[in-house]
Amino acid sequence: MEIVTHFFPWITNGPLIAVQVMSGLSVGMFLFLVSVGMSLIFGVTRIVNLAHGSLYMVGAYLMVTLVDVLPDNALRFWIALLVAPIGVALLGGLIEVLLLRRIYRREPLMQLIVTFGLILIIGTLVLIVWGPDNKSVSRPDVLAGSVRIFGQPFPSYYLLVLALAPTMMVALWFIFYRTRWGMLIRAATVDREMLGALGVDVSTLYTQVFAFGSWLAGLAGALAAPTIAVALGMDGDVLINAFVVVVIGGLGSFAGSLISSLLVGELQSFGILIFPAISIVLLFALMAVVLIVRPWGLLGRPEDGH
Amino acid sequence: MTGKGPRPGAWLLAAVVVLLVAPHVIPTFFVMLFIEIAIVALFATSFNLLMGFGGMVSFGHAAYFALGAYSAALLVKKVGAPMLLALAAGPVVAAAGALLFGLFIVRLTATYFAMLSLAFAQIVFTVIFKWTAFTGGDNGLLNIWPAAFLKSPPAYYYFTVTLVSASLWALHAVGDSPFGYALKAVRDNPRRARFIGVNVRRHQLVAFVISGFFSGLAGGLFAFFNGSVFPDFAYFNKSFEPLIVVLLGGVQSFFGPLAGAVGFKILETFIARQWPVYWPLVLGTVLIGVIVLLPQGFVGLLERRPWRSRPASAK
Amino acid sequence: MPNTRRSALAAIVLLSVTLILLPALDRVAAQGKPIRIGEINSYSGVATVYTFPYKDGLEMALKEINDKGGVLGRPLEFIFRDDKLKPDEAVKAARELVLQEKVDYLAGCISSSVGLAISAYAKDAKVLYFATHCQTSRLTWDDGHKYIAHTTNNVNQYIRAIAKKAAVSPYKKWAHISPDYEYGQNVWEEFSSYLKQLKPDVQVVQQNWPKLGETDHSSYITALLQSGADAFFSSVWGAQEIAFVKQARPFGLLDKIKFYSASVGNPDELDPLGKEAPIGTVTTGFAWYDDGVQKLHPKLKDWVKKYAEWSKGKEPKLGASWGYASAYIIAEAIKRAHGTDTDKVIGALSEGFDMDFPWGKVIMRGCDQQAIPPQWTGVVKMNPQGRPVMGDVEETHGKDIVRSCDEVMQLRAAAALKKK
Repeated sequence: MEIVTHFFPWITNGPLIAVQVMSGLSVGMFLFLVSVGMSLIFGVTRIVNLAHGSLYMVGAYLMVTLVDVLPDNALRFWIALLVAPIGVALLGGLIEVLLLRRIYRREPLMQLIVTFGLILIIGTLVLIVWGPDNKSVSRPDVLAGSVRIFGQPFPSYYLLVLALAPTMMVALWFIFYRTRWGMLIRAATVDREMLGALGVDVSTLYTQVFAFGSWLAGLAGALAAPTIAVALGMDGDVLINAFVVVVIGGLGSFAGSLISSLLVGELQSFGILIFPAISIVLLFALMAVVLIVRPWGLLGRPEDGH
Repeated sequence: MTGKGPRPGAWLLAAVVVLLVAPHVIPTFFVMLFIEIAIVALFATSFNLLMGFGGMVSFGHAAYFALGAYSAALLVKKVGAPMLLALAAGPVVAAAGALLFGLFIVRLTATYFAMLSLAFAQIVFTVIFKWTAFTGGDNGLLNIWPAAFLKSPPAYYYFTVTLVSASLWALHAVGDSPFGYALKAVRDNPRRARFIGVNVRRHQLVAFVISGFFSGLAGGLFAFFNGSVFPDFAYFNKSFEPLIVVLLGGVQSFFGPLAGAVGFKILETFIARQWPVYWPLVLGTVLIGVIVLLPQGFVGLLERRPWRSRPASAK
Repeated sequence: MPNTRRSALAAIVLLSVTLILLPALDRVAAQGKPIRIGEINSYSGVATVYTFPYKDGLEMALKEINDKGGVLGRPLEFIFRDDKLKPDEAVKAARELVLQEKVDYLAGCISSSVGLAISAYAKDAKVLYFATHCQTSRLTWDDGHKYIAHTTNNVNQYIRAIAKKAAVSPYKKWAHISPDYEYGQNVWEEFSSYLKQLKPDVQVVQQNWPKLGETDHSSYITALLQSGADAFFSSVWGAQEIAFVKQARPFGLLDKIKFYSASVGNPDELDPLGKEAPIGTVTTGFAWYDDGVQKLHPKLKDWVKKYAEWSKGKEPKLGASWGYASAYIIAEAIKRAHGTDTDKVIGALSEGFDMDFPWGKVIMRGCDQQAIPPQWTGVVKMNPQGRPVMGDVEETHGKDIVRSCDEVMQLRAAAALKKK
């Protein structure tokens, strides 16, 4: 027991572990919002959207601008949080209509490179529009402080995230399983040709899905903005994490994204405490293991690997 | 083939003459550029053995490039090995790495193949980055200069061009051999290939190892050319380089990657120099433009029917 | 597919011919009159927040120098290249500048690994290289040689300045959080060794090494809260430090444990933080706005005004002062050598010289060709306009804290031994 507490002195500290678990959950929630969009887009359109991190970044930068531009009052943050993702959704829709439509019939590799090209383009455009300086958004006053969890301080803002995520999950579940649109989406993931044959306008559906996935990415970015610096390069960071989450959870699986985001979130939180030296490798090692043992991820479907 | 224009033999002779004469005629900077193009062409062609011939897209080929570069560099720095020995070791280590990783990777298809190759490459990158005591970490290993008789740009140029030409010839031979045809069969229809007795996995693994070998050679050549090695040799940006080059040049042709290497380097050298801020924008636009408008790359431009694109594979 | 092959070969020949013909179209390197310096830095991507102001400062100095007649009657010219934050790109650019553009000297860097890579090339090619923005002390010390001069301070200098402040504080139990790469390791080594030297009873109770560019620091924050330290030091910088501070505040970390930061005093971090700036943090930075500093350096205010005009309304960042100083130091070395001959300029550098800048005296030390400017440490405060700035600024001159020439020679000898 002494050995354990020597190496992990926090292990007997219950409140500390509780707070750590909750931090991990919040990180997981951000990851979930980013990766579920990516997973959704793949599930329906079969495109791995590498530009998803860039959409996240645009969401965060839009948040900065909106907060700057709106009059300073208590609602400012919430309005910005509402509007920013819509902006990203519009951008996503534009990208889909102008560009992605032309490449659905192409090989997956070509599609990947197109989305990779988008990373380069969007990244440079952000630099041109917003400039090189670091930016920041403050948390809304009502959520700027902390609450006590088992006597340990825990940032109130993360409570918003923790509250929002299950709400989103329920909302997404409702959309996918209880609305007609959701049914069309699920049908499209199974057999889009049949869907077209049944008279559904599949290409509009695709646009809507991509826009919705972009909306989710933009929401994640806008929501994350007050907790980090809004700066160039944030697209790459989030992309790598989202990619790992989506692979582990299973491309196209909504529940899979959820479970693996939480898993990765906790792993990142505790990984640093348990294996500080190799915590970076941990994520990729886990991704490799999943790909070797069960390539379609925890909850993906085997035939999705085309 | 129709007898229009000079025979390929004549083109080849012209190319050889140009290459031999170049260092004495053009400024040193362009000699260096040629060396770089040769190295990139080798990396891209070995990558294309997997992609064009084998139908397998790797997102982590930088790992083998880096393994080649670092083994050569480490032998020079830690053991004081002579350049040629170190350079010879590079592809061997890279091939070993390709064998080790390939064992797992070839079991997967398409998207998952790409992702696992990426995961392994990122692991290689992280190990190099963090193992500062051995690999120099993010400072890399410096002062990896070629042997004295190869140090001058023209000398290294001849050395590199010879090695790369020999490697390309070898790769071409592989592609033209029964093995190569079996590989193409596997690419086109794995099930049918298996039916006629081709061991799909083994062919893919062998292709993977050969590809890793030559990528490692490219890495070793680059290490001595650059004079130093850095962890970002293994980062995914480097993995995208052969992909972009092959794309620009055209996946279908054996010499596509070479054409793409020349084209890409021209673009990079002259645009990135003038407008560094806008270079990523230009590159992204060119990539998308090539894919959407020029499916066969530069080579396709010269083809008689450039609008003929490959039908979507029914997998 | 013979058709394809022919086309491919044709493509290659066409492209190669274009490549060979391009030198004719490319502008011929202007020989003769201007003194040309090839500057390599990161002008795209994440580093631009530092390199754009640096370039402004450098170009401002360049204009001043050339308006006054240049150097030895010849105009000074900088040719800029982007290294994309990659050392191999930097070496490529260095080669191109030396072999194609035929520059007289090389300059620039922001990333330490890039600086070290260019330095290795410069040594091999026997071209004089002026390292400008990058900070590692290895440039002129462990890996130093005669073909490199460092025109701005190195890590040792500004970290020792803040360690000195830490030494006069009452805090005995220290923790730190530093990014896990060369710079972070270098900084912590400098800070902890100097602190221990000045105050032997100091104890290091915890070390935290997040990866460079980490976005979520909550585990580190929790760890720090548990560490039992009275004070902690951070060399996390830029966007990562902004994120760290924002995340640390609701945990109350900065109220519980005294915060010493290597770089939060810089406007690129304080301005985005705004209301969330860590008031009370001890840090370093270029406090040109401080009344005390302006009293010490009467010319500073005018320089700031001039910079504002030049950069169309911007305030100078630390990098701007470095770019400005670098251009002048290079010019001065050439002047003292009475020519551009590399060995003579190295000779001038190795004799050392002093220069006066609007912010104080910068010493170019001969034994290691390392610049030693003044250092400022202060405490983060809110100014009357509601903007976070550095206050209670104290100035230390680098010369009082930097490692001595003897120590440098020892470092070089030790490094040489390791290479064998």
